[in-house]
Amino acid sequence: MIERLLEQARRRGAGTADALWRRSERTSVAFEFGRLKAAGVTEEAGVNLRVVSGGRVGVAGSTAVAAAPDELVSRALASAELGAELTLAFPSRTPLPHVPTFFAAAAGASLDALIELGAGLVAQLARDGCQVNVSVERELAETRVANSAGADSSYQSTGVVVSADLWRVAGDDVLVLGDAFEGADLPSAADVARIAQSVNTRLDLALKVTDPPEGALPVIFTPAGLTAVLLPLTQALSGKAVLQGISPLAAKVGEQMFDPAFSLTDDALAPGRASSRPVDDECVPSRATCLVQRGVVQGFIYDLETAARAGTMSTGHGQRAIFSKPVVGYTNLIIGDEGRGKGDGYSVGAWHAVPLQLGGGLLDNIVDGLLVDDLIGVGQGNVSGGAFSHPVALAYRIRRGEIVGRVKDAAVAGNSYDLLQRIAGFGSDRRWYGARNTPSVLLEGVSVTRRAAP
Amino acid sequence: MKDRLTDALAASRADFTEIRLERTWTSAVSFRGRRLEAATASEDQGGFVRTLHRGCGWGVAAFTSLDQLPAMVARAGELSRAVRLERPIRLAEVPPHQADAVLDLDGDVRGVPLAEKKRLIEAYNSEMLAVSDRVVDTVASYHDAVTEYWYVNSEGTVLHELRPEVTVSGSAVARRDGIIEKGLESFGLRRGWRSVQDRAAGFRRAAERAVALLDAPRVKGGTYPVVLDPELAGVFIHEAFGHLSEADFIYENPQAREMMTLGRRFGKPLLNVGDNGAAAGLRGTLPFDDEGTPTQDTPLIRAGVLVGRLHSRETAAALGEHPTGNARATSFRYPPIVRMTNTYIANGRGSFADLIKDIPLGVYACSAFGGQTLLENFSFTAAYGHMIRDGQVAELVKDVVIAGNLFQTLDRIERIAGDFRWNEMGGGCGKGGQFPLPVTEGAPHVRIEEALVGGDVPDAA
Repeated sequence: MIERLLEQARRRGAGTADALWRRSERTSVAFEFGRLKAAGVTEEAGVNLRVVSGGRVGVAGSTAVAAAPDELVSRALASAELGAELTLAFPSRTPLPHVPTFFAAAAGASLDALIELGAGLVAQLARDGCQVNVSVERELAETRVANSAGADSSYQSTGVVVSADLWRVAGDDVLVLGDAFEGADLPSAADVARIAQSVNTRLDLALKVTDPPEGALPVIFTPAGLTAVLLPLTQALSGKAVLQGISPLAAKVGEQMFDPAFSLTDDALAPGRASSRPVDDECVPSRATCLVQRGVVQGFIYDLETAARAGTMSTGHGQRAIFSKPVVGYTNLIIGDEGRGKGDGYSVGAWHAVPLQLGGGLLDNIVDGLLVDDLIGVGQGNVSGGAFSHPVALAYRIRRGEIVGRVKDAAVAGNSYDLLQRIAGFGSDRRWYGARNTPSVLLEGVSVTRRAAP
Repeated sequence: MKDRLTDALAASRADFTEIRLERTWTSAVSFRGRRLEAATASEDQGGFVRTLHRGCGWGVAAFTSLDQLPAMVARAGELSRAVRLERPIRLAEVPPHQADAVLDLDGDVRGVPLAEKKRLIEAYNSEMLAVSDRVVDTVASYHDAVTEYWYVNSEGTVLHELRPEVTVSGSAVARRDGIIEKGLESFGLRRGWRSVQDRAAGFRRAAERAVALLDAPRVKGGTYPVVLDPELAGVFIHEAFGHLSEADFIYENPQAREMMTLGRRFGKPLLNVGDNGAAAGLRGTLPFDDEGTPTQDTPLIRAGVLVGRLHSRETAAALGEHPTGNARATSFRYPPIVRMTNTYIANGRGSFADLIKDIPLGVYACSAFGGQTLLENFSFTAAYGHMIRDGQVAELVKDVVIAGNLFQTLDRIERIAGDFRWNEMGGGCGKGGQFPLPVTEGAPHVRIEEALVGGDVPDAA
């Protein structure tokens, strides 16, 4: 399929071209309110074709390509007629690093096995007055990416997501808690138990509602709660933001911008992760890219287009959906705690040893503070300047080293660039949260405001 | 096509089977600053089968390869049988419909060359860039789609529709020294090419607002009487109340059901809220939902009292209520779930001037950058605001974030003006991984006795 498209593009006048073909089959089972409710499959195949014609770039995609490959090429060429001028150098064939992306146990799991997996988790979460939703999703995918410079790679991959939500409605108080396992292989029994334990622990501590504190306080951001703090950085470290002139870190390479204990790496080769891959969606071999090392900005992530415009090399961060042009995107983001905790880097797939302690041991020295697990409205407003201000969705008050209950009517605010200059501690609870690997992080001087009581 | 679908239905051994097929042509053009980001045309096609065997759960199959249809019907049947249920799934009755509906294409976008679409959005983009040197960045996007849609089910419903959709949107970023401000414009309808012509003024205003916000002070955080403009009032009712009225949230949850008991007072007698999927030409409008149920105007709050909710056939049967035509899917990749369409606060009385004339100090919150709700808690960010002083609209302020508790806030709506209008923004709603679903909202100006307005966010380093 891909050869034919590239060949046809060449014959019809495209100077160079590249294409991605992806086929996926996803099997999912859903438990609603504690009972198995639905089972489904989704089979999808599509092609994304990019051509460079007359020095201009054009893109087209289709899920109906088998029926009419000519039409896809025509649309890509028509897109190029209007397209931006760009000298895009497609990478030639190079050896790829080895990273396991296909796990036979995940690929071979039967529908019954997936149902059993979900039922096991439901059983560990069942409790009176709470509704439990669990879903199990397994994806098999085949990706092929090739270009007119001779690069041509394909790989098979598996991905598994087991997620749980727990809902508790008491009067007008609605509490929603969730957690998920995400990986390239099936979760072990211990992984499933950890989801249950994570949900149950946070639920137990949330049953009591307490008054929020107020002022500039120490706040623990859990691996899930860190999203708002990290968002300005991940935006600023994208080559796209640098090109657009909106990255506050653009001119800061080599400068100490953060606490020396803080490092950030994007690793497309992290073993066992569903986002890992030997090659990106533009034929660029994968590698780990260090973005911040010991608080010093090292560089940015690029795809082919942003790299070409910035006069640098792609870092292998091209991501490509069927219907749009490739964009620059992260794979597995790893927050390092250099020199503290258990040394540099991270251990693979590590969830910290049981028993899970909320806050990862950071509670001890906090006299009065907050632990933030989820915020409302993350990503709204002006993220790029670093400032954030959000009401809490799930947060707990800490007093004298202990969690004393859940706070509802509170908001936290701060600026990521200020707060991350001094990190008061990393937790011992390092884990994967989605495609991010991090422990809890203790930041000081976070503004906590109380919402006026009704 | 109709024969292929009815043959596939006939081969199904399930007690209930439904099939959707979609073929969608889309084009998209976007500019970033003066540079064209992309101009693309794409084609997407696929099918969705859902089956139900007696005593079993849903079996679902979605696929892009249409010649797989018969195999996928069989597969969905097997999946249904694998899900054994103690309490069976029931579907509320919907009389079978046969309809062939071509919605008003208003200038079929498929007949317009991509170059023309580029010219249109380039002009709107230039309009923003021309406002001031302080406009340092813009994004301007054009997007259209036409979907040929088939729906059949084993109860005799056969629907064929041609559904158009078109959106233009822009954002302007203004900067002075370290200060960055944003202005947004967005316009979208379930119509075609003609409806997005002559929209330059809106793009210009968005850029002018971004520039004006550079000099505007932050709103001082605190509790104020707050007046929402129709756009923000619409977003508020969608985010803060609409999602709770989706019956899949409560149908199997006794505590949630209690919280949302019909007859419960939610507001003062002046408050009327509904959802109308049958309103003409709006983004959330369609003749039928994705279960073949006709859309309708569903009252949710009448005179301050909860009187209804939004249903799929399954949630309606579970609660002994009637389907409302709110089972929607973003595409063939997904099952239909309970969603809003065009959600509104109904008109009140009097003018905007009347609404604010006795407010000594308040906040007039306008337009929306975004909103999020976590059930009874919501937060939304106004694009800009003005202080209200001595009954008059006063200075421009920025960083107007309103957060609160739904129940308290609804109950504090004390005045509703008579200047209702539908939003024509091009946004979409996300739920259960399905995004963006075309929806819209409508409202008049709404006055809340007292709400918490956040501001005073620390500056960037």
